[in-house]
Amino acid sequence: MTTAAVTHPGLVGGHAEQPDQLYVETRELRVQGFLLFMVSDLVLFSSFIFAYLYLRNTGQGWPPPGAPKLDIALAALNSIVLFGSGATMHFALENWKHEHFIKFANWVMVTIVLGALFLSGQVIEYVKIAAGWGSSGIFGAGFYTLTGMHGFHVFCGIIFLTILLMQATAGKYTFQKYTGLTLGTLYWHFVDVIWVVLFSIFYLY
Amino acid sequence: MAVAAVHSGGIADHIHPEPQGFLRKYVFSIDHKIIGIQYMITAGLFMIMAGMLAELIRVQLMKANGGFMTPDTYNQVYSIHGSTMVWLVIIPMLTGAFGNLIFPVQIGARDVAFPWLNMISFWLFPPAGLMLYSSFLMGAPAAGWTEYPPMSLQGVAGTSMWCAAIFLVGVSSTMTGINFLVTILKMRAPGMTFTRMPLFVWGQFVTAPLLMIATTALGAALAALFVQREFGVPFFDPTKGGSPLLWQHMFWFYSHPAVYIMILPAFGMISEILPTFARKPIFGYKMIAFSSSAIAILGFMVWAHHMFTSGMAPYLQLPFMVLTMLIAIPTGIKIFSWITTLWGGVIHFDSPMLFAIGFLATFTLGGITGVFLAAVPFDLHAHGTYFIVAHLHYVLVGGSLMGILAGLHFWYPKMTGRLMNEKWGKWSFWLFFIGFNGTFLPMHWLGMWGMPRRVAVYDPQFLFWNQVASIFSFVMTLAMILVIVNVLWSIRNGKRSGPNPWRARTLEWQIPSPMPYYNFKHVPSVFGNPYDFGEPLPYRGLEEELTDSPPPIPVAAH
Amino acid sequence: MEWLVENRDPVVRLDRTFWSVTALLGVLALAAVLWWALAPIRAIMPEAVDKAYQIDTLFRFLAASGTALFVYVCGYLIYFSIAFRKRASDPPDKIGVQIHDSHSLEFSWTLIPTIFVVIMAIFSIRIWYGIEFAPPNTLVVEALGHQWDYSFRYPGVNGEVAEMHLPVGQPVTLHVSSYDVIHSFWVPDMRLKADMVPGLINTLDFTPTKPGKYSIVCTEFCGTLHGDMRSGTSNDKAYLYVDPPDRYQTWYRQTQLAQAHAGNTIAVASTSGVNLAGGDAGAGKQLFAQKCSACHAIGPFDQKVVGPGLKGVLHDPAHPNLVNGQPATPANVSKILQNGFSGPMGRMPNQTQNAISDKDIANLVAYLNSLK
Repeated sequence: MTTAAVTHPGLVGGHAEQPDQLYVETRELRVQGFLLFMVSDLVLFSSFIFAYLYLRNTGQGWPPPGAPKLDIALAALNSIVLFGSGATMHFALENWKHEHFIKFANWVMVTIVLGALFLSGQVIEYVKIAAGWGSSGIFGAGFYTLTGMHGFHVFCGIIFLTILLMQATAGKYTFQKYTGLTLGTLYWHFVDVIWVVLFSIFYLY
Repeated sequence: MAVAAVHSGGIADHIHPEPQGFLRKYVFSIDHKIIGIQYMITAGLFMIMAGMLAELIRVQLMKANGGFMTPDTYNQVYSIHGSTMVWLVIIPMLTGAFGNLIFPVQIGARDVAFPWLNMISFWLFPPAGLMLYSSFLMGAPAAGWTEYPPMSLQGVAGTSMWCAAIFLVGVSSTMTGINFLVTILKMRAPGMTFTRMPLFVWGQFVTAPLLMIATTALGAALAALFVQREFGVPFFDPTKGGSPLLWQHMFWFYSHPAVYIMILPAFGMISEILPTFARKPIFGYKMIAFSSSAIAILGFMVWAHHMFTSGMAPYLQLPFMVLTMLIAIPTGIKIFSWITTLWGGVIHFDSPMLFAIGFLATFTLGGITGVFLAAVPFDLHAHGTYFIVAHLHYVLVGGSLMGILAGLHFWYPKMTGRLMNEKWGKWSFWLFFIGFNGTFLPMHWLGMWGMPRRVAVYDPQFLFWNQVASIFSFVMTLAMILVIVNVLWSIRNGKRSGPNPWRARTLEWQIPSPMPYYNFKHVPSVFGNPYDFGEPLPYRGLEEELTDSPPPIPVAAH
Repeated sequence: MEWLVENRDPVVRLDRTFWSVTALLGVLALAAVLWWALAPIRAIMPEAVDKAYQIDTLFRFLAASGTALFVYVCGYLIYFSIAFRKRASDPPDKIGVQIHDSHSLEFSWTLIPTIFVVIMAIFSIRIWYGIEFAPPNTLVVEALGHQWDYSFRYPGVNGEVAEMHLPVGQPVTLHVSSYDVIHSFWVPDMRLKADMVPGLINTLDFTPTKPGKYSIVCTEFCGTLHGDMRSGTSNDKAYLYVDPPDRYQTWYRQTQLAQAHAGNTIAVASTSGVNLAGGDAGAGKQLFAQKCSACHAIGPFDQKVVGPGLKGVLHDPAHPNLVNGQPATPANVSKILQNGFSGPMGRMPNQTQNAISDKDIANLVAYLNSLK
C-alpha cells in the first residue's frame, strides 16, 4: 500500500465511496454559485476594460504624452508561462480523476511555480516601465489598474491552489468527491482567459 | 402519525438542528427568516434617518432664500438622503428583507443555497451604513447620490468614505444576488416548474442577475473614483487626460439596472396581494413573468438616457431614446394585467390592498413621466430640474416604497403571528397617499417652469408650490410615523393572526405564523399554480404542517 | 381548509355599466387631450427659439396621451374598486371570476402601446434631427461655466464678456464648456440645455425668435452656490438678451472696442518675437505634456481635444497656415504662444496666463519643429 492509501481512507482502491444525494445536490449549488461569482468578476474586469478603451479612444490619443513603451517580448514570454500553468492545472485535475495522487500534487506544484513566475515577470515589467500609477496620465489608469487587478487575482489563485493542495494532502477530497479541486481549476482558467484579453488590448492594440 | 414522506436524502431532508443561545439564534443566524428580519430592522432604521434628512430638505425649501441650513450643509443632506434611500433602504428592504424572508418558503425550500454567505451579506450592511453616516463627521459628500466628477474630485473627505461604504454594501448585494439566483434555479420543491412559481419569486428571480452583474459595475466605478481621489489615478480628470463622461457611463450602467432592482421585487409583491384580496387569479400570469424578464434585460441597455445633455456623441442619443421608450410596453402590459385582476373580483379593502391599489395609480404616473423623459427633445428641457425629482419620487416612493408598505402590512402576520392594527393601517394609507401626492405632484410643473434640482435656494417665483410641497410632506411624515408606531405596537398587542389570515394560497401561508426554523416538516410537492381560488391547494404533503406533530429530525452536526 | 368551497358566480360579462364608465372615461380623456392641445404654454413660458414650438408640440402630444392613459387607469381602478367590492351580504368564501388570461385582450394591449411607442419615436426623432444638425452660416458663440457664473466669447472679440446677446432670427451655434466642474447651460424659455463639461465642447443649434431678456439657469450640481448660479443673483449677472439685429450690431461693436483695450489677445499682437535660438526640444516635450496636453494632442490636425492636434503644425502640407491665418513658421507659432488666440474652437491663454517664459516658448517651438 502506498503512503497515499494510509493517509487517504477515501482513496483506497476498490472501495470507491459513491457520492450520495446530498453531496450531488450540494455540489450543483456550489458549482453554479462559483460560476456566477466568476461572471460577476468578469463584469468587474469588463468595467475597467471599458474605461481603458473609452479613455484611449476619446481623449488625447494613445500613448499619452510621457507614457512608457511596453515590452511586448517580455509580456509574450510571461503569457506563455501563464497559459502553460493553465495546461499544467488541467493535467493535475485529470490525474486526480484518474486517481493518481502523486502526479496530481506534482502538477499542482508546477502550476503554482509557474503562477509565481508570471507574477515575477509582471513585477519586472512594472520596474522596467517605472511610471507612476497616478503620474502617468491615463496610461496608469488603464494599464496598472487592469494588470494590477489581474495580478491580484493570480496571487489569490496561488493561495487558493496552495490551500487546495494542502486539503487534498490531508484527505479532504476523495476521487469521487472533489468539488473544491474542480472550482480551483475553473478559477485558474478564468484568470488565464482574462489575461488573453488584457494582453490583446495592451500589447497588441 | 406522519404521512410517509419521500426521503430523498438530499438537501430537502438535510435539516440543521435548531440553533441554541441568543447569539446564534438572533445575531449570527444563518436562518434566512431571521436574516430577513435583521435586514428589515436595519433598513427601517436607515429609512427613519433618510426620512429625517428629507424633512430637513423640505424645511429649507419653505423659503426661497433658505436660511435654515447653509448651502454646504444642505448639499450634504440631500446627497446622503439619496444615497441612503437607494442603497441602505430600498434595495436591502426589497431584496435582503422581503426577499430573504419570503421567497425561499414560497418555493418550498428550507433555506437559501448558501446560508453562511447570506449571514455575511447581512453583516456587511450595518457597518457600510455606519461608514456612510460617519462621513458627516469629515464633510459628507455633497454632489448628490451620483457624485459626478470633477465635482466629486474636490475637497470633502467624506466622498472617499462614501465610495468605500457603497462599495461594501455593493459586495453584500452582489453576494445576495448570487445566493438568490442559485436558490431559485436549484432548490424549488418537486413539481414547481417556472410557470408554477409565485410571481413574487419571479420578481426576485429577475432581480438577482441585476444585483449580481450591475452592482459589480458600480463597484468598479466607485473603486476608480476612490483611487483617483486618493492616489491621483486620472480616470475622470480632464486636465490629466481623463474624462468626466466616463464616470457617467460607468455609474449609470449600474444605476439604471439599480432602479429596476428597486421596482421588480415590488412588482412581485403587488402580484401576490392583488389576487389574494380580490379572490381571483392574477390576470395574465405568463405575460407578467415575461414582461418582468424583458424589463430586466432592457434595463441594461438604456443607461445613457441619464446623459442626453451631457455632451456625449449625438448619434448615441437615438438608440437609447428608442430602447427606453420600448420599456414602456412590458410595463404597460403589467399595469393593465393588474387592473384587470381587480375586474370581477370580490375586493377586500384591507390595508395591504389599499397600498397595492394606491401603488397602481402612483407608479403609473411615474412611469408615464418616465416615457416623457425618454424623448430627447423633451429631456433637453426637463433634465436636471424638479421634473426629474417628481418623476423619480413617483416611481421610487409611489412605486417601491408603497410596495414595501403593502408587503409590510401583508406579511407582518407571517413574521410575527399578529395582525397590524387595521384602523391605523387605513389611516396610514390615506395620510400617505394624500401627503405623497401633495408633495411631489407640484414638482412636475416647478421643473417645467424652470426650477433646477439640488438647489438650497431658488427663484422666488417658485415659492408658493414649494411651500405646498413642504406642508404635504409633513402629512406624509405623519403617515410614516403612524406606520412605525403600528409596527411596534402590534408586536405585543396585535390580534393573533393564525397561519393564514388572508386565506392566501402560496406556500408560506400554509405553515404556522411565525414560521418555524425548519420551514416545513415535510417539503411539499407542487402540481399547479397558486392562483386558482376555488380549487383545492395545488400541494401534496402539507397535512402535518399545522398540527402538533413533532418537528422533523435534524441531522447530526457535521 | 373549510373556506374552500366550490362556489363560483356565473361568468360576469362586460355589462352596460362597464361600457358606460368606459364612455365616460373617454369623454374625460378627450377633455384632457383638448386641454393639453389648447393649453396656453406660450403665455406662461414664451417659446423663444424656433425649436421651442416643436418641443412644446411634442410635449403636448406626450402629455395628452399620458393623461388620457392615466384617466383610464385611475378610472378603471376606481370603478372596479367600487363595482367589485366585497359587500357585507357576500358569503365569506365568495371568490371572484376565475379567469386567467385573454389572448385577444392581451394582444391588443401589447399592440396598441407598441404602435404608440413607434409614433412617439418617429415624432421625437424628427425634432431631434432638427436640433442636432445646424444649417450653414451660423453665428458661433461660446458660453463658459465657472463656479458660479457664466461668461461668453464672440468671434472677433477679445477675452470674455459677462452678458450674452444674440440677434433675433440669426441661426446660432452655441459651443459650451467649463473652466472647472460640470455646469449646465439652460434657458428655460428656449427649452434647450447643454452640459458644460471641462475638457469637452458641447453644442446647441437654434435660432432665437423672440426679442427679450432671458434667464440662464445651471442645472448640474456645481458646488456650494449651485442654487445661486442663475441669472440675477449676486454672483451671476449673466442674462441672455435677444436683440433686434441693429441693436445687436451696436452692442457687438461697442463690446469689441471695449474688449480691445482690455488687451491680451490677437488685436494687440506683440510684434517683437522671442529669441528661438537654442530651444531644447526635450524640455519642450515635457513642458508640452504639462501645459498643453489638456487641450492639444500630438496627433493629426483633426485629433481635437479642445484645440487642433499639433503633430504636424509646422510640417503639414494640408494645413500651410496656422489658425490665425498666418503661415506656419516657427516665428508665427511663437507669436501665438506669446499672445494667445481666440477663435471658434476656444480661447488659448497667452504667455502670461500660461506662466511660460520666453525660454519656455523657445523650447516648445523647438519641440514642435522636431515632430515630423
